[in-house]
Amino acid sequence: MIGQVLGHCRIVAKIGEGGMGVVYRAYDEVLHREVAVKVVRKGAAAGTSSSSAGPNLLDEARASSSLAHPNICTIYEVGETDGEVYIVMELVEGKPLRDLCRDAGLQAGAVLRYGVQIASALARAHDRGVIHRDLKTANIVVAPDGLVKILDFGLAKRVGGGIFDVASHTLATIDEATGFSGTLPYLAPEILSGEQADYRSDLWALGVVLYEAVSGRLPFGGRTGFEVTSAILREIPAALGPPVPPGLWAVIQRCLTKEPTQRYQRAGEIQAALEAVQSASIVPAADPAVDRNALRTTVLHSVRHARVRKGDFVLLVGTTKGAFILRSNEKRSRWEVGGPYFHGHCVYAMAYDSRADRHRIWASTMNYWGALLRFSDDFGKSWTNPQKATIRFPPEAGVSLKNIWQITLGRPEEPDVMYCGVEPAALFESRDAGESWSLVRGLFDHPHRPRWLPGNGGLALHTVVLDTTNAQRMYIAISSGGVYRTDDGGQTWAAKNRGVRAMFVPNKYPEFGQCVHKIAMHPAHPERLFLQNHWGLYRSDDYGENWKDIANGVPSDFGFAMNVHPRNPECVYIVPVESDEFRCACDGKLRVYRTRNAGASWEPLMRGLPQKRAYETVLRDAMATDSFDPLGIYFGTRSGQLFGSRDEGRTWEKIMEGMPSVVCVRTAIVEDASGGTALSKAKDAPAPSSRSKSRSTQKRRTTRRTTKKS
Amino acid sequence: MAVTIYIPGALRQFTEGRNKVQLEGVHGTLSDALTALWALYPGVRDRVITEQGQVREHINIFIGDENVRYTGGLASRISAESEISIVPAVSGG
Repeated sequence: MIGQVLGHCRIVAKIGEGGMGVVYRAYDEVLHREVAVKVVRKGAAAGTSSSSAGPNLLDEARASSSLAHPNICTIYEVGETDGEVYIVMELVEGKPLRDLCRDAGLQAGAVLRYGVQIASALARAHDRGVIHRDLKTANIVVAPDGLVKILDFGLAKRVGGGIFDVASHTLATIDEATGFSGTLPYLAPEILSGEQADYRSDLWALGVVLYEAVSGRLPFGGRTGFEVTSAILREIPAALGPPVPPGLWAVIQRCLTKEPTQRYQRAGEIQAALEAVQSASIVPAADPAVDRNALRTTVLHSVRHARVRKGDFVLLVGTTKGAFILRSNEKRSRWEVGGPYFHGHCVYAMAYDSRADRHRIWASTMNYWGALLRFSDDFGKSWTNPQKATIRFPPEAGVSLKNIWQITLGRPEEPDVMYCGVEPAALFESRDAGESWSLVRGLFDHPHRPRWLPGNGGLALHTVVLDTTNAQRMYIAISSGGVYRTDDGGQTWAAKNRGVRAMFVPNKYPEFGQCVHKIAMHPAHPERLFLQNHWGLYRSDDYGENWKDIANGVPSDFGFAMNVHPRNPECVYIVPVESDEFRCACDGKLRVYRTRNAGASWEPLMRGLPQKRAYETVLRDAMATDSFDPLGIYFGTRSGQLFGSRDEGRTWEKIMEGMPSVVCVRTAIVEDASGGTALSKAKDAPAPSSRSKSRSTQKRRTTRRTTKKS
Repeated sequence: MAVTIYIPGALRQFTEGRNKVQLEGVHGTLSDALTALWALYPGVRDRVITEQGQVREHINIFIGDENVRYTGGLASRISAESEISIVPAVSGG
């Protein structure tokens, strides 16, 4: 073979030989790279393209070649020439794990490092519907730098004598076909019992691999294939004591549970478990990155769901005891209520992300079991419930997450960017659509941070405002820390509170430390911001450099919620409360106040709102606008009432009452899906430019994401 | 001889519905037992302790009838047959 050309690869040297065939080092003369070429032994390639029944080797290999993962040996090409099947793959330099652990096994630390990588690779493959089917230490190569590569993904089913058809073979055939030093010791009991292999058979094999790697011996041995098979089916492996950590032994035991349903059910769980053992004791995990496969989805059967469809208008309502999804159409007169979701959890933040063909509802949940960021891609029917919190402070931060106060989507041109404002005051950023999050160190390491003080609700970063015309600029607001602005994408931050009062310190106009309740910006006028303070209403016309008091004619300048009209930068809505001590609607009259001249004057909007003994409070994120014309405005109260206006605030209607205290209201228009549920169609939706829009949606502004900006 | 950890209802979705988990060969401290529990059921970990390794404020852990807040926290000693309970505290509104 040396010197021959297969496809566009010239064979250079023989590397090794296995049950499947011979492996050569080769040179790809088109792409100019070194590769490995496996020439499959004739007769081993059952089911190649010449076979018409079922998936063939080429199909299998193509499926495997889609597995882009750092711990999976990449298959570049599969071809057939003169009846010989060959596989061109990544050339992996290193030693088989089998050789590394042959004597007394490896140290537990190394086994954990390798195990995490193997589990991560399996998780990716299983997620793509590819099962390895022949995982063993001989198929795992460790590079000198510790990087693990798994070979031969997905090839075993068709190659190697049909090892998974053993149910119809005698044990002698198994012995002959695989050898008990080869594949047999890694086979799961269900396979030996004649059942179909599934991804859990790979998890069993991973247990065998871990056992062998840490001890140097196989968990199920024997002198003959019959003895090995009998041990796999009936015996408990010999216990691994010190120096093997009990945690690692526990993981191996669970992998090697005879009944597949009693094993781990996902490779991501094993990865998380091994990472937990790596942390050695209850100390922060070294790697805050979270595997999506560790996400657990909770399907809610006992909760009523709103059937959200294309063109629907949706209100997302977070309360102190759960979340609701209210569905209507553009008339917004009848509402179907879904929920409550997350029974008993505070839901301080919600968002609807329709960027990049998503129909994803985000919610932050918090109770005594901690704070989590979760999402639903089916309008609430199921929600992720990550095993490992995705937003977490790094160990050196010395603080722990208490609550997630704000979920803000990145700019439209950054469809995978998200921000979360949290308590204790900090900003987290995601650049992969919420899959992983990192602490924005520029703000967390700010020298002012030790002097920020918690307000009544805790020390929270509750507002994130993005300048949509300048990708480097954004604002955050902290109670009590004040407003900060970055002009370099979050690397450095400057306090922007000049002119804003702080009533609770001797110096009424400090550089920072103000108890800002909300800031809001009109996207088309990024230089102009409005601010609802703990006592004080302000406007800035110079990107927050200076603030001017605009409490002209309001009954109280104390309040929380504040929203700018999406089309009129002069128009702002607030809901004043009487005082710091008595945080209820002024004089027991529930009134929204509106300015249409950027704060020069304010007018009460009350028609349809209770004007007698209405001791209501509207909290900072409990008001939102939509993007219809005329504008809709919605707010929820601390007593659990939800009001809406379809005419810019002129008249109001009660949408719902009896909810727990409302802490968050967001709006969304569900576009882009065609027929059926939006979810089911979203996955096949064409590119945004080709979507058709109804006349009614054309009337709307382009605000496709959650429309409340503040 | 096994350490038994009782799992509250809210966390059983992470323990495949088990209301108790028995751990063979675990000894030393509460921390050792919980580490073995996380290894088996990683989803429980972040619900019980913070990312800084502290038991959450409103979660109590008992060894037998003793609240570990008064016996050394996570460093509390366990015996080979300890019964450990994870219980949310009475709190909230």
